[in-house]
Amino acid sequence: MNYDFSEEAEKLFEAIRSIAATAPAEEDLAGATVDTISAALREMLKTLAGAGYLQDGLAGDASESAVNQMAAMETLAGQARSLFLAVEMSTRVLGRALARWGTGATQEQWREGLLQGQWIGALALSEEAMNVQNDPLATVGSRKDGRVVVSGGKHYVINAPLADKIGVVGLLDDRPAIFMLDAGTEGLSISEPVPTMGYDGIRMADVTLDACVLPEENVLLPPEGTPVLDLLRQWENEVLMAAALGMMQAAFAEARDFAKSHRSGGKPVIAYQEVGFKLSEMLTLYQTAQLLAYRAVWTLKDQPKEGAALIWCAKVFATEAAERVAGDALRILAGQGYRAGSASESAYRAAKWTQIGGISTEIARVRIGDQALGYAPGR
Amino acid sequence: MDFSFSREQVMFKKEVIRFAKKEIVPRVQEHDLNGEFDFQSFRKMGDFGILGLHFPEELGGGGADVVTTVLAGEALGEAGVDGGLTLAYGAHSFLCADTIFRHGTDAQRQHYIPKLASGEWIGCMGLSEPDAGSDVASMSTTATRQGDTYVLNGTKMWITNGPIADVAVVYAKTDPDQQHAGISAFIIDKGTPGFSAGPPLLKMGVRTSKTSELVLNNCVIPAENLLGNEGEGFLMAMQTVEWDRSALLAPFVGSTTYLVKKCADYAKGRVQFGKPIGHYQAIKRKLADMRIFGEAARALVYRIAWCKDQGRPLNHLEAAVAKLFIGDWSLPVTNDAVTLHGGYGYTHEFDVERIFRDTRLAPIGGGTSEVQKMIISRLM
Repeated sequence: MNYDFSEEAEKLFEAIRSIAATAPAEEDLAGATVDTISAALREMLKTLAGAGYLQDGLAGDASESAVNQMAAMETLAGQARSLFLAVEMSTRVLGRALARWGTGATQEQWREGLLQGQWIGALALSEEAMNVQNDPLATVGSRKDGRVVVSGGKHYVINAPLADKIGVVGLLDDRPAIFMLDAGTEGLSISEPVPTMGYDGIRMADVTLDACVLPEENVLLPPEGTPVLDLLRQWENEVLMAAALGMMQAAFAEARDFAKSHRSGGKPVIAYQEVGFKLSEMLTLYQTAQLLAYRAVWTLKDQPKEGAALIWCAKVFATEAAERVAGDALRILAGQGYRAGSASESAYRAAKWTQIGGISTEIARVRIGDQALGYAPGR
Repeated sequence: MDFSFSREQVMFKKEVIRFAKKEIVPRVQEHDLNGEFDFQSFRKMGDFGILGLHFPEELGGGGADVVTTVLAGEALGEAGVDGGLTLAYGAHSFLCADTIFRHGTDAQRQHYIPKLASGEWIGCMGLSEPDAGSDVASMSTTATRQGDTYVLNGTKMWITNGPIADVAVVYAKTDPDQQHAGISAFIIDKGTPGFSAGPPLLKMGVRTSKTSELVLNNCVIPAENLLGNEGEGFLMAMQTVEWDRSALLAPFVGSTTYLVKKCADYAKGRVQFGKPIGHYQAIKRKLADMRIFGEAARALVYRIAWCKDQGRPLNHLEAAVAKLFIGDWSLPVTNDAVTLHGGYGYTHEFDVERIFRDTRLAPIGGGTSEVQKMIISRLM
C-alpha cells in the first residue's frame, strides 16, 4: 500500500499544468468557429503528445501507471475543460481502441496519427435505441467485393465536426466492429454542431452513414467475445471521472479563494459557518471521489471484473459530486459565480454531461445493483 | 500509488471474519435487545489477538501494523458484529490501551498492556465532560498535586466502557489557568477511592457497549499514574484521533459490505407483484448507493492508516474528511437498508434495524460532523 505519488508522476503533473496553462480560456472557445477550436485542439494534441501524455495508459499498463494517468487527466481537466474532453475522446477512447485491437499497417498508421497528435479523432457510438441491455446496434456493415459497406446513424459524437478520422461502432458479421472512416468519405455526413448546455469549447454532432464504402483493413475487429461496447463505455467513463475531478478541483479552488478574500460584515466570508461548512463538504466530496477514482483504475489491471464495478461506482459518485460541488461553489461565489467565465458556472453546466455520457449514472446504478444481486446485467 | 494489501493481510481478514461469524455474531441480536455487554465475545477477541493486535508481541500483542489493525475492524463489521462491541473494542484498545502504550513508562506498559491485550482487563478513556465535548480546553476536571499524589475532582461524560472498565485513562487540568497546555493524562484503576462510574445510559444504538459518566470525588492516585509529563494530555488526546479516524471508522466500512449482502439476499427472496423485488430498479438503486458509499469510504480510512504506518504526523484535514464523509453518508445508506426490508426492517427480527440505530452514532461520536467541518474549513 502506498498513498503517495512518485516523483516521476509529480513531474508529469507539473508538465501537464504548464501545458494546460497555455490553453485558451473556456469562454473564449464558447462562440468560436469550428476552425478556431480545431486549431486550438491540434496545438494541444501536439504539445501533449510531446509530453508523453497521449500514449500513457492505453495498452493495459501497470496499475500504478493507470493511477498516475488518472491524476494527470484530472490536472488537465481542471484547467482546460473542453479541450480535455476533446483530446481524450480522440486518444483515450478511439486511440485506445486502436492500441488495443488494431492490426495491420493502416490501423497502425491511424493509431500513430492519433496518439502523436497529428489527427483529431472521434468515436461514434451512441444510437437511438441503445440502452441498459445493449440492444443490437443498428449501424451495420456488410462485405462486398473485398470491401465493406456500412450504413447507420449516430448521435452526440464529440469532435465529429472537427475530426479527421471517425471510428463508427457497428456490427460486421454479427460482431461488434469499429469502422474507421476518413472525414471526407462519400456517404458520411456530419450535422451542424449540436448546441449544448455546457462544455462550451467542444463541438459535437450527429453522424449519418449512407452506404459508406471502406476497405476491409479499415475495419477494427476486436477478438470474438470481447465486450466491445462495455469497454468503450468504460474508457469513456474513465475520461468523464477525470473530467468530474477536474471540475471539482477548479470549482472548489475558485470558491475557497473567493471565500478567503471576499469580506462581508468585517470578516472574510469563509469565517461564517454557512460558507466554511459548505466548503468543507465540497472538499470532502472532492477528496473522496478522487481516491475512489484512483482505486477504481488501479484495480482494473489485476481484477478486471471488480475494477469495472468500481469504475461504475466512481463514475456515479464523482460525476454527481461534481454537480454538487460546482453548485455549492456558485452559491458561495454569489453574483461572481453566476457570471459567464466563472469556472464554477461552467463546471455546473458541464457536470451534467459527465453524468449522461459513457454509462449514465442511472444505468450504472442498475449495473451495480445487478452485480450485488448476482443478476445478469440489465435483467 | 498502490492500494493493495499483502497476501497475509488478506488471509488475516478472512480469518477474522470466520472467527467473528462463529464466535460473536450468533449472540449479537440477543445482547443488543437486552442492552448487555458481551463479556464472552470480548474475551474471545482478546484470545484471538484482536484486542492487542498492534502492540508488540513481548507485551502480549500481535505486532501488527496499523493497516492490518484497521483490516481487523473492517472484518468485524463485515462479519456482522454490532457497533456496540466494535465501539467497546475501539475505546479499550485505542483510546485507553494505546495511550498507555505510547506515553506510559516501561513499568506501566508491563503492568497494563498484557492484561488489556488479552481482554482480562477492560479499558476506557475519560475526556468529554457534561459541558466540554469537542471543546476539550474548557474541561473543568482538575488534578491537584499533593506530595506524591494527585487529587482528581470532576465528572466525565459519555464514557464508553465506563461502567465495566478496570482501567481508565482520564484527562484533567493540572493547571486550570491554562487552556490546552494545562491538560494532563492519568491512569486510574477501578476501585480507587473517590472514583466511580454512573449507571449505564440507555442509548438509541450501540446498546451492547456500556456508556456512563465517571465521577472523580477527591480521588487520590499515586503521582506515578501521570502519563508522560504535566501539560501533555491534550496532545495525547489528539493522537487518539488518528485511531478515531481509521480503526474506529473501519467497522462502518465493513458493515456496509454486510448490509449490501443482507439486502441483496432479502431482495432476491422477497416476491412482490409476481417477481423478486430485486428485479425493480428502485431496489437496485438502493443497493448501488450502499456499495458506492462503502467503496468510497474504504480508501479514506486506509489512507489514514497507511500514513500512520509511515510514522507521519496526523493530517487533521484528511482525518476530518474521512470522519465527515463516513458520519454523514452512512446514515442514508442504513436508512435505505431498513426501507428495503419494508415492515420487517422496522422489527428486531432483522438486524438492519440495529445497524440503523448503531450507525446513528457515526456523525456524533469522536467529534460531530459539525466539528469536522470546523476543522476542515480552518485548515483548507
